Amino acid sequence: MMSEVKRSTCVMCRNGCQLGIVFDGYQYRMEYLAAVAPNNGRTCPRGNSANVVIDHPKRLGYPLLDGKEITWEKAFALMKNWHEAVKPEEIAVVYSRGAGAADIGLVRGFAAALGTDNLVCGYLEPDNAFRYRLAGVKPATLDDLAASRATLLVGDVFSTSPVAAKGIIEARYADKQSRMVVIDSIKTRQAGFAHIFIQPKPGTEFLVLAGIAGLIDPKLKVDIDGVATRTGVPRRQMEEAAKILKPGVNGLVAGAASLGRVSEPYWHSIFAQILALKAEKPFVGFGEALVPDGKMGFGKLQELVAAGRIKLLFWFGGLHPYSYPELFPELNRVEFRVATSIFRPAKPLPGLVLPVPSEFEKTGRGESVWGEVKFEPLAKPVSGTRTLADIVSQFGAVKEMAGESYQRVKLEEVTAQLPQALSKHLGTAATTEGNLYWLLGRKEAIGVGGFFEPEDEIILHPADAQKLAVREDDFVKVKSKTGERQFCVKVLPVVSPGTATVGVNAHQNRALFPVEVDAGTGEAKIPPAKVEIWRVSA
Amino acid sequence: MASVGVKIKKRLVVRLDYCIGCRACEAACRSRFKGEARIRYAPVGETVLVPLPCRHCAEPLCAAACPFEVIKKDEERGIVYQSSVHCVGCKSCILACPFGVLDKDLLRRIAQKCNLCEDREGGPRCAASCPTGALQFVDEEEMKELMVGKRVLSRLPFWRRV
Repeated sequence: MMSEVKRSTCVMCRNGCQLGIVFDGYQYRMEYLAAVAPNNGRTCPRGNSANVVIDHPKRLGYPLLDGKEITWEKAFALMKNWHEAVKPEEIAVVYSRGAGAADIGLVRGFAAALGTDNLVCGYLEPDNAFRYRLAGVKPATLDDLAASRATLLVGDVFSTSPVAAKGIIEARYADKQSRMVVIDSIKTRQAGFAHIFIQPKPGTEFLVLAGIAGLIDPKLKVDIDGVATRTGVPRRQMEEAAKILKPGVNGLVAGAASLGRVSEPYWHSIFAQILALKAEKPFVGFGEALVPDGKMGFGKLQELVAAGRIKLLFWFGGLHPYSYPELFPELNRVEFRVATSIFRPAKPLPGLVLPVPSEFEKTGRGESVWGEVKFEPLAKPVSGTRTLADIVSQFGAVKEMAGESYQRVKLEEVTAQLPQALSKHLGTAATTEGNLYWLLGRKEAIGVGGFFEPEDEIILHPADAQKLAVREDDFVKVKSKTGERQFCVKVLPVVSPGTATVGVNAHQNRALFPVEVDAGTGEAKIPPAKVEIWRVSA
Repeated sequence: MASVGVKIKKRLVVRLDYCIGCRACEAACRSRFKGEARIRYAPVGETVLVPLPCRHCAEPLCAAACPFEVIKKDEERGIVYQSSVHCVGCKSCILACPFGVLDKDLLRRIAQKCNLCEDREGGPRCAASCPTGALQFVDEEEMKELMVGKRVLSRLPFWRRV
């Protein structure tokens, strides 16, 4: 039995690729829609996981209380009892990736109906900082990609959006004058396409962007030599990049930001856009999702939880409950907890975990980097799941409240903060000593959900491998403030000495990266982590 | 052997200049075959991964090495295919393959052999899904144009051999 091809937009990143799914009576299969733009059937590993997500054996089909199965009736009764036992100001409502635009509207309405102002965005990935839009910057189109003859890529754009890489590579080969600059603290495949590859010290990409912008427009008064010292990037390299990106040449600035790789997500996004503005190029920020702001920053929620002022927590969305395992000890302090999830938690979690349909099983609307997109269900929701609307309606009628996806930022406001931001970061140390290393996050598309790649590998620089007396395929343990894990070693000079990198698609690897609070925006950030590494026997 | 009535006389070729090593080809294969990849990849240099699809050789050594004649060549369609039902997992085909395409790690205790997705009219899933168009499913005419197997031509210095 072969049924019709169901079509929808891929939800795994913001490129807006069109996917097809066929159910053959036994299993769900991908279908590649060659005639449908923008991807013409081309699909990265994330997109290829759509049928795996729909069909996954670990999909959750019943509510869990402290890790044990309960009925929906009991779960709803508990939720209501908990709600009655607390005051409105003791409730926090968090939404994350996995909740579509309509769902987030509902969550806003839900928080209003509960009478709490503790409404927080729980999507902490640095790519969410691309929701800050600098006034005057032109958003890039697919035509801009094709016409670009001076392309700047900051972060691992090819891994974040492999489908967009096609246009970028074609533009790179379009004529002999075409030039490409890549800035990334890890040497990835895209560096091989670059005419200039700039590899700054961990987490300092945004300073290099500031340096290049300062060379294009000296009025920004950027201390170029200070940038060179802090980032380890020679002034000459920045000058060459500035020459390539000068105004008057068709070009493009594209950014990507991965967890554990970007130290200042806000400035990473803003400096990329300032550079685009000064170089008169359009800008595109690739990422996995765009989740709008709540009423307060995540840092404020952490403060309230630490002070014991939150008694009931609702966390909506996410592939896994609470999305970030490093937050589990912190959130365990909350007395009553309700989270939604599409997968069964790896370990039993205190509180309620409610099964919801995945984004592939929902109708909705959203925005890709290239414009508005619609989502259609590719499959029926997993049996036993309930929609977010069902869950929140247990507390009475909830009205959807729309909000802005993007947050506008004016150049004048930003330029006023520039000197302070730069001097703060130019003054910090960039190296570690002893057996302390910088651990960087790598988010390759193939690592999505661990479906295709287990991500139990750490890449070490040859000098560090020698120092640690390890060789390829040996085992090391990595310990950070928030976790410890064993990895198999791969030795490659793709990272700087004193730096190691692991995949951060894997939920357990994320636990190595502590969540910090950005003093400027009050939001959470997950920068490169300082870790101890030592050799162990297998 | 399943057939959709389309003659497959095409081959998978990799345009090195466009491959970004994202392994979408492998993911597409795994997502179809429940975690079993029938395309492999090879690390070349520090950052470069190149897909290794089955060549469907004119004189397949994997078929010659198979003690139970599980791997056969369909001359008409140009496919070297395998009946997994009779495979005993002896690994002879893996040792015989001159390109190292067959995976040394057996899944379900049988070797995994590419069949060019003959169940799919649009050709192999790996080529259909390739994000940059590096992996292509081309016919003999196109292969002549691309000079497949004759020269390695590239715009990138890394690959330039001729």
